[in-house]
Amino acid sequence: MNINKKQSQNFTLILFVLPAFIFFAAFKLIPAVLGLWYSFTNWNGINPTYKIIGFENFAEIFTGDADFWRAMLFTLKYVGAAIVALNVCALVLAVLIESARKGRSFFRTIFYMPNMISMIIGGYMWNFIFTQVLYYIADNTGLEFLNKSWLGDPKYSFTAIVIVAVWGGAGYLMVIYIAAIQSVPTALIEAAVVDGASAFRRFISITLPMIKQAFTICLFVTLNSAFQVFDVVFSLTGGGPGRLTQVVAINIYEEAFGRSNRLGYATAKSTILFLVIMLITLIQLRVMKKGEEEM
Amino acid sequence: MKKLLSVLLVICMISVMLAGCGNDTQGTNVASAAPSSAAVSGQAAASSKAEPTRATLNVMMSFPRFTDQMEAYLNQFKAKILAEKNMEAVINLEMPSSDQYGNIIQTRLSSNDAPDLFTLHASADLPTYVKAGYVADLTSQPLADKLYDDVRKTVTIDNKVYAVPFESTVWGYLYNKDIFNKLGLKVPDTLDQMKTVVKTLKDNGYTPFELAFQEQWVPQLMTALTLGGKVSGSIPDWTDRMYKDQGSYKEVVEIFDVIDLIMQNGTKNALDKGSEQGAADFANGKAAMFVQGTWSAESILGVNPDIKIGVGALPVNNDINCTKINLATTTSLAVYSGTKEMETALALANYMLDDKDSSALYKELKFNPVAKCHSFEQYSWAKEASSYVEQGRSYRDLVLPNAVTDEQGKLLQSYYAKKTTKDEFIKVMDKTFKDANRAAAQAK
Repeated sequence: MNINKKQSQNFTLILFVLPAFIFFAAFKLIPAVLGLWYSFTNWNGINPTYKIIGFENFAEIFTGDADFWRAMLFTLKYVGAAIVALNVCALVLAVLIESARKGRSFFRTIFYMPNMISMIIGGYMWNFIFTQVLYYIADNTGLEFLNKSWLGDPKYSFTAIVIVAVWGGAGYLMVIYIAAIQSVPTALIEAAVVDGASAFRRFISITLPMIKQAFTICLFVTLNSAFQVFDVVFSLTGGGPGRLTQVVAINIYEEAFGRSNRLGYATAKSTILFLVIMLITLIQLRVMKKGEEEM
Repeated sequence: MKKLLSVLLVICMISVMLAGCGNDTQGTNVASAAPSSAAVSGQAAASSKAEPTRATLNVMMSFPRFTDQMEAYLNQFKAKILAEKNMEAVINLEMPSSDQYGNIIQTRLSSNDAPDLFTLHASADLPTYVKAGYVADLTSQPLADKLYDDVRKTVTIDNKVYAVPFESTVWGYLYNKDIFNKLGLKVPDTLDQMKTVVKTLKDNGYTPFELAFQEQWVPQLMTALTLGGKVSGSIPDWTDRMYKDQGSYKEVVEIFDVIDLIMQNGTKNALDKGSEQGAADFANGKAAMFVQGTWSAESILGVNPDIKIGVGALPVNNDINCTKINLATTTSLAVYSGTKEMETALALANYMLDDKDSSALYKELKFNPVAKCHSFEQYSWAKEASSYVEQGRSYRDLVLPNAVTDEQGKLLQSYYAKKTTKDEFIKVMDKTFKDANRAAAQAK
């Protein structure tokens, strides 16, 4: 009787998970497996037939594809910059908002708002700001440092991309940090106040260690999304001028849907990107877990 | 009881979701009110007449801006075949935006969900799709004989006609006629004349060229024109040899003479400027010339309806034989070879060049005439460009692999940003062409 009940409970649970699972399978799992399969073929995405060519695609990536590795390098640079900039900004915002006396929910909403706009739209908005508004401001106010080719000169376009990524992504991380900060026991803080600790000291010695889990989550999220970044770069520079700001995702997109439509080759590239992300995420999770256990 | 409730709830959710998914008709159904009511009244009025046969056609085209005109034209077609063949056609017209169109048609074809008729780029896409076996041969159809010879060549592969050309363009660079007339300038025929024009413009305080290089296809137009002129004028076998891995961009390095001239005498911040912004600036007289096709005329006139635009052929060197205008067919309509409604699909393809109705359509859509059945007044700039064609000073748009065209644009962007040299351009382009050849061979 008891077992029966448990079984039917499980059945109910499975039913609840089923819709999400169907979606996950149809739009993530099956395409991922198919992608892996295509990476061993020379399919061009159009022809009804294709050949299995084993590891030829992978061999070509490792021997003759300078553009891909240049894009990978640029992506790594972006990942580094984005992780630091996003998390620092989000944490600072979270702390500032939490310490504000008034209007917390107002600021929370304001800073979270960009997250609700699609990054493509946000990107085109910023594109307009960088290419029109800043010139206008520079011409009319004499703020000469604004008068730069923000998207055309690769020196500055990297900065522009990071700025927009922070604008769009910091709000989400901020909410996670706020939740973590709110869960810090007030007793600890009050005890520190009684002991005469300064606000900065309290933040470093109490709040920061207590929100370590939030760090794990936020790093995980930013690492993942930064490696796969596409929309920001696509809408701002399109990877240009030339390929100077091309990230891996754009390189893959270009290979599959532009150039010679080498879909099989492009999926091989995305398999490599997947492996790189998986490796780094595994390392990161392991390191962070250790850190958490030590506490 | 609770359990039962939750199970019911889950089932409800799933069914709602599935219902939501199932409803995926994205296209506008042209067969809305008008035809069905016509059919009903037709049946009521003439019950003696035989029941009309039915056919459903799916049509996909890549110009959403013409949806209204196309729907109207398709409705005319439905009325025509209902009257002539007593056939009631339901036509689903889909118009994805042109930048996603390629991906969509590719997916639909490879998932056996192909539309019966679809548009393709005549030089960039048609050969690939013909090779893959997706396109029906139209050579024996009446439409093939109506096409102008020059135009017919652009949709012919291995002596077979595979598509109905829609958009064909005759283009070079655009110039501002008001500025040219004011300074008494003549459209240059050689590079030296062009240099003089540039100097005169600068001496009088005008910026010679509008540069808008943010989108890679715009700088790419410079290679399209210069390569076209150079290759057709002095080394006609270059393209063939490139396809056989036997040529090099070294032979055409001359094109940089005029590209440098343009880049050094253009408006500033080119890499921050999109094509629309460039068109707007040109319309407002910020520069005298703009290397851009006639397709942007609409944007330019939208900003400044009073501007007088002229079209000129871009000189590559001092050989007038290399200064020619580009004749290209872009969007054209193909019939899916595996369609279940071949007869109706062919009828529709033929109707696109109908003796009676086609002229009005092409005129309304501002397309150039492509067939003998087209008799309508052209715009002045189109006429000016066509006059080059009449003098025999035109060449057929070079058919280069997509990868090569893209790469040219990208490299010109970084050449403008001074991150690529001429030698690197040659090296990378030669490699890209070879890679594209290899990819094409692999796909066979």
